[in-house]
Amino acid sequence: MQINVEEKNGISVFRMEGDIDINTSPEVKKSLDQAISAKKDKIVINLGKVGYVDSSGLATLVEILKNLRGYGGKLKLTNLSPKVMGLFEITKLNKLFDIADGEENALNSF
Amino acid sequence: MNIEIANDSYLLKETCEKLLKLLRENGVDENTIFDIHVGFEEALRNAMVHGNKSMPNKKVKINAQVTEDHVLISIEDEGDGFDPKSLPDPTLDENLLREGGRGVYLVEHLMDEVRYENGGRRVVMKKYFVKSHK
Repeated sequence: MQINVEEKNGISVFRMEGDIDINTSPEVKKSLDQAISAKKDKIVINLGKVGYVDSSGLATLVEILKNLRGYGGKLKLTNLSPKVMGLFEITKLNKLFDIADGEENALNSF
Repeated sequence: MNIEIANDSYLLKETCEKLLKLLRENGVDENTIFDIHVGFEEALRNAMVHGNKSMPNKKVKINAQVTEDHVLISIEDEGDGFDPKSLPDPTLDENLLREGGRGVYLVEHLMDEVRYENGGRRVVMKKYFVKSHK
């Protein structure tokens, strides 16, 4: 799992690469926890290079969203592959998350 | 594929890879393999964590038969069993923010046929290679 973090105009952009599953979810959570501890209120997670997400990964993303909402932070997901988007649709998490079409759209949507 | 593995989460990925290799050798398309991957891994983890309660002395039996048009998989743990109907629907609005409870739901929606036997200790799943639309 590789996670690249960049600050763009006050927005924290997390670009993930690899699977988000039971093995890598703790790493994803740890990375986002740092931003949440710093009360970053605008976060984009780019999943463009994530080919596989399991229920642990979905649970981790839900936890991150809940923690962000706890202090009024906003989260946008972007660049979901059709397969990963399919998992969000099956679980109806596409109703819970704000999913943008492309990183630029995500950045401009805050 | 007919194996019995130790209840060790480190064997989860390895076992999953064996199944995916078998499917690829049989020419199964990648979209279908993705669904089977998620369904199989969720079901196997449920058996190890919820069925066998992560106890290292327990085992999981796995059988997978690949035919021309489908794969039939069974996964059996040594736990107390469970009633899948007792699980809350994770897609209801009031449950969307719950962190857990999506594993069984994903299995049921990604595989074409799913049934529980032996009091919920064994899950039997079928996936057709020509994807059916639910």
